[in-house]
Amino acid sequence: MATLVQVEDLRKEFGNVRALAGVSFRVEAGEWIAIMGPSGSGKTTLINILGGLDTPTSGQAIVDTVDVGRLDESGLTRFRAQKIGFIFQQFHLVPYLTALENVMLAQYFHSTTDEKEAREALERVGLGDRIEHLPGKLSGGEQQRVAVARALINHPKLILADEPTGNLDEANEETVIQLFRDLHREGHTILMVTHASSIGSLADRRIVFAHGRLVQIPASLKSVT
Amino acid sequence: MFWRLLWKLLRGSSGRLVVAILALVSGAMVISALLNLEFDIERKLTQEFRMLGANLVISPGHDAQITGAAPSALMNESDAFATIQNLRDPAVEAAVPFLYIVERAEDTPVVVAGTKLEDLPKLEPSWRIEGQWTSSRDDQIPCVVGRNVAQQLHLALNSPLHLSYVGKTAQLTLVGIVDAGGAEDNQVFLQLPEVQSFAGLPGQIGLVQLSVRGTAKSISDYAARLATALPANEVRPIRQVTEAEGDLLNRIRLLIVSMVLLILVLTALCVLATMAALAMERRQDVGLMKALGGSIARIVALFMAEVGVLGATGGFVGAILGIELSRWMGQRVFGTAISVRWEIFPLTIALMAAVALAGALPLRLLGKVKPAVIFRGE
Repeated sequence: MATLVQVEDLRKEFGNVRALAGVSFRVEAGEWIAIMGPSGSGKTTLINILGGLDTPTSGQAIVDTVDVGRLDESGLTRFRAQKIGFIFQQFHLVPYLTALENVMLAQYFHSTTDEKEAREALERVGLGDRIEHLPGKLSGGEQQRVAVARALINHPKLILADEPTGNLDEANEETVIQLFRDLHREGHTILMVTHASSIGSLADRRIVFAHGRLVQIPASLKSVT
Repeated sequence: MFWRLLWKLLRGSSGRLVVAILALVSGAMVISALLNLEFDIERKLTQEFRMLGANLVISPGHDAQITGAAPSALMNESDAFATIQNLRDPAVEAAVPFLYIVERAEDTPVVVAGTKLEDLPKLEPSWRIEGQWTSSRDDQIPCVVGRNVAQQLHLALNSPLHLSYVGKTAQLTLVGIVDAGGAEDNQVFLQLPEVQSFAGLPGQIGLVQLSVRGTAKSISDYAARLATALPANEVRPIRQVTEAEGDLLNRIRLLIVSMVLLILVLTALCVLATMAALAMERRQDVGLMKALGGSIARIVALFMAEVGVLGATGGFVGAILGIELSRWMGQRVFGTAISVRWEIFPLTIALMAAVALAGALPLRLLGKVKPAVIFRGE
């Protein structure tokens, strides 16, 4: 398998606070990686840098041959639109747009909208009958499924999920996790931040953070250094 | 998708935007009313000032004294009117000749003005006449007297009036009593040929009074052309009228322009306050749009289009209301409705769109929103 993500000595500081203190690892295309660790250990900072939402203080974060740290503002915008699909714990749907329009919003910023494709994406996550609903009229699980459909609509190289089940009840969590299983089976590359060991155990590998460093690197995982 | 998003943005923030649109409609209404008034004020004022009578006088010459029928103070009637007709200025409302002599009426000396009685209402629209200006009867020599003369000589309509001048006498019939509110109330008005015949000055006149429409400058320009064409005569605007008209016009225009600018600034400030609050509300949405790959230009363009639509809508609605307001103001101030100037519509809409965009400056700050910062909840 080809390396999709390569992180080398990645550091990020917010003033005097060191969020990432020299992190290095690689992710092969098609892998599902669970990023685990206590709050404030740097997991979300890593996801943000890999997704082009934040820039590193030093080190390299290469995604699909693009060194994210070297991109300017417009380069980061293109990078996010073309290569990344985000799924957030808080769903982050636009409240005055319907489920369909939330998915089409990602299409709009990527290139052009295709309503038929957006409908199919929602049908695929089991929301064929909720297409015209506003987020406020959807359950948490349904909102997260809209977010999954939105993340996939532009066929991203990398799916970054930050605690995607953190706000869901058990039943909805299972539905969403099943979606991730399906995505993984289809060959998508997934980096998922999670606190839940049960979910982490579903991933191909687990990377555990503490105080901005990798603290648990399973010996069997040669791609993690 | 752009228009779909735009519509949803407008609907999604309708509560806040109502405040902005109310400010824009109110501003546009007053501005369009004032602009409509401003565009029409010159015509209205000119009409009002023409009620004041003649604003231009042609007299025999710089040194002439218009005190009577002295030959040196006269000019040729046909030459003066031929020149006026040759210049063919449509702004000339009335051009009326006068020849003044002093006659005796019932042993009382009175100033007699020979003129074209039928043209006097056009020259002096504010004069009030009791009776008529002329008579249709061929067996009468009609005359009109000022109200003071009528009072002094105890004259009533259809009374006979005897005039004598240097041994000549004439029997006149009083057809009208005029209330001019000035020195003319002490005069007797006859048809010009009668006075010329009395005075033995056929074809001679003492002066021509003109009522000319237009601004002080256009009247002065016309006077200059007349003066060039009549080098032996003096052509002068009646300064009190033309200068008062120009001065009043300038003051009203300055007032209107100041009001328009003030309202534009106040409207922009109101929109600014609303948009600042809206920008704070939308930081989350903008952070998300950026995370999804939305460029700053595309996101800000979306919000600017929203504000532009608000401005144009406010401008359109306000312009319609403003036209009605200007009609009402015209009715109150001038007694007649102000004419609608349709160019006010695009002008008001453009002004309001510009004001709305200027007031939307806080939305530009959304371009600096960092998605990671927003998602951290900072």
